[in-house]
Amino acid sequence: MATLPKIYADLDLTFNRTPGTGDVALRYNDQAVIASVRNLLLTNFYERPFQPDLGSNIDAILFEPATELSANMLDTEIRNVIGNYEPRAQIDKLVVQLNPDQETFTVFLQFFVGNNTAPTAVNLILQRSR
Amino acid sequence: MASNTNIQVANLDFGDIKKNFITYLQSQDTFKDYNFSGSAMSTLLDVLAYNTQYNAYYLNMVANEMFLDSALQRSSVVSHAKLMNYVPKSPIGAVAQINVAFNGVTTSTFSIPKYTNFMSESVNGVNYNYVTTDYSTVSVANNMASFTSVELKQGTVETYTFTVNSTTNPSYIYEIPDQNIDATTLVVTVQESSSNNSYQVYSPTTNYLALGPTDTVYFLQEAVNGNYQIYFGDGVLGKQLSDGNIVVVTYISTTGSAGGLANNFVLMDNIGSYTSVSVSTTGGSPATQGTDKETISSIKFQAPKAFAAQGRAVSKNDYITAIQQNNLGIPFDAVSVWGGEENNPPIYGQVFVSLKPSGAYDLTATQKQLILEQVIKPISVVTVEPTIIDPDYTYIQVNANVLYQQSQTTLTPSTMQTGIQNAIYGYSANNLNTFNSTFNSYELLSSINNFDPSIISSDFNINVQKKFYPTLGTVATYTLNFNSPLQRGVFGSGVSSSPAIQVANPANTQIALDGVYIEEIPTSTSSVESISIVTTGYNYAQTPIVTITGDGTGASAYATVVNGAVTAITVANTGIGYTSAIVNITPATGDKGTGASAVATLSGQYGVLRTYYNDTTKGKVVVSNNAGSIDYINGIITLASLNPIGVDNPLGELTITAKPTTTLISSSYNRIISIDPYDPAAISVSVTAKN
Repeated sequence: MATLPKIYADLDLTFNRTPGTGDVALRYNDQAVIASVRNLLLTNFYERPFQPDLGSNIDAILFEPATELSANMLDTEIRNVIGNYEPRAQIDKLVVQLNPDQETFTVFLQFFVGNNTAPTAVNLILQRSR
Repeated sequence: MASNTNIQVANLDFGDIKKNFITYLQSQDTFKDYNFSGSAMSTLLDVLAYNTQYNAYYLNMVANEMFLDSALQRSSVVSHAKLMNYVPKSPIGAVAQINVAFNGVTTSTFSIPKYTNFMSESVNGVNYNYVTTDYSTVSVANNMASFTSVELKQGTVETYTFTVNSTTNPSYIYEIPDQNIDATTLVVTVQESSSNNSYQVYSPTTNYLALGPTDTVYFLQEAVNGNYQIYFGDGVLGKQLSDGNIVVVTYISTTGSAGGLANNFVLMDNIGSYTSVSVSTTGGSPATQGTDKETISSIKFQAPKAFAAQGRAVSKNDYITAIQQNNLGIPFDAVSVWGGEENNPPIYGQVFVSLKPSGAYDLTATQKQLILEQVIKPISVVTVEPTIIDPDYTYIQVNANVLYQQSQTTLTPSTMQTGIQNAIYGYSANNLNTFNSTFNSYELLSSINNFDPSIISSDFNINVQKKFYPTLGTVATYTLNFNSPLQRGVFGSGVSSSPAIQVANPANTQIALDGVYIEEIPTSTSSVESISIVTTGYNYAQTPIVTITGDGTGASAYATVVNGAVTAITVANTGIGYTSAIVNITPATGDKGTGASAVATLSGQYGVLRTYYNDTTKGKVVVSNNAGSIDYINGIITLASLNPIGVDNPLGELTITAKPTTTLISSSYNRIISIDPYDPAAISVSVTAKN
């Protein structure tokens, strides 16, 4: 398989070292976009200085009792934040599934990055942290 | 590698700073995702931009505080003022002068100690403490000790002691933990030690030129927290303290302007066992206004001027600054200073100072003397003689008519009336009552019209008034300068006086006439202004007799003869009430002069006043047909030979009212235009509702 050109390049927020060079690790292309999407989903409103609208309201939704309604709200929220702030990701499929016994949601998100015809998939389990 | 040419450093806004970072990153190719909000690069840029903005903001604020003009914190402003040797003024307690009498005193002398407590009447619901500022003693007569003009100052006495310890406080700076200290009352004494009771009184100073190593002085400054600090000399400039000395600071802690304007007081402390005490301000003076701690804006304004004056009074502003800086605890609303050369006629070598005290009309004679001797003379130029003169008040009486749309307001006519009255007082408080002010009809109408949106239109007319205290039982001439041209009166609208006065009946001086008023004689508006020669004539060996005939009275003139011809005729008395006048030139007895003729020019510059009273059967009875004159053009009313026995006013004040020809009235020098807030008739408002 041919190596894709490095269209997108970003720092890895874990700040791990690249083995060998010892430089801060970088992420490329779809990995960079996945990290960005995760960031956006985990950022709350008013968290970033002077940009109150950046991020999603997922924390607040998770605080409510886990119901189908919350699942629906999560779906909307994820579509909004990616639509507004991540132009690189074109959502192909989004499934938010309620796990009533665990009070968690399983999120399956599949999107295209740029002109890449192979979709990128992300699996997340959202659980309230308190 | 990125190029440094893309770095911008002048922006302070978060968004701009972040944009600068992004522009910078565009010139490199290691990182690409800085433009996507969710990227890790974007998060890092946010942190960096926030930090940059935070620092820039902080530095900007620090830079602001570095200059007197832009500093916002009081401590910064005070610090800048300190470089100019300027100590911000503390609050100053109101001062009252009272008379106190003790009955049943059996000793030969009697004293009221310094700092004796009195309590004021309620001012805005609060009774304030006042204390005597000095010790006073009187001789007792008929078992009564009567004190007059005892000075009281608003506040309570506080004392702090500090023991000098050069190890713990090597700078000898002592902070008085009280924001309300009246620094003019500060008394600093230094006791030798706890075992040696001898002490010395230290005095304040801001003048370092004459200081020696043994001078017992202290310096005052405002600390960062707003408290005052005192500190002492270093053994070169002023005496240095030594370890074990005890500094005792006593002062009056005041509420400033809040406790001012009290009138009645009661004694709170026991002086001996005397209970029969009467306290009165009659003959003394009620409390002055009192002032609050100097504001930041005032310090910004005053400090550079005090620095420019350098403790000397040369220019007008030097005098104003010196008086405002060192007002001896007498708060002023305004100060006006002008050179005698500006007077008419000029008085060279004199500087005139006029002061409008807060909460009072004039300074007392003692206050004027104190300011002259202690504030002005020590710093004025040797050859210049400073003089304090009282403000000259001209009062304006406003009669306003207001038309309003009733459907557009919920206000009742009386609320509307009171509100408009207050709006006019507000206009007066903001624009008048000070030196060099202008009564401006446009601004007054704006104040009235802006009171309520329902007001459709308004207009007003004004009278000008002078108020004075005639000396009862003494013949005197009073000259009242309105400083504004006056209208010639017609029946019922000319110059008038109030209240009624009592004068001796000219027909029988043993009988007093009551209810006497002064008014303008309505037809007294023309007089003989000048006489022009038509033909000079000839053969006049002596000065001919000039007579003026007409429908008026009192005009007289005399001729000047040169080489047998009448060259000029001078009006000696302009007379009054002329609508036509004929000049007759009659040769002296036996003189052969003939042929001279002249014409009179009439003018309405002067009018005449009369005194009258209203009799139930005879109607208006004139007491004197010549009670004074009115100079309409210059706005001067002279009351000639006025000799009232009484005035129907508790204070003996007589008001003369006239109508000005213009509503644009301005003041200069010691003149103040005011709408008298204590006169209920100063403003009359009539409102008309339109449905």
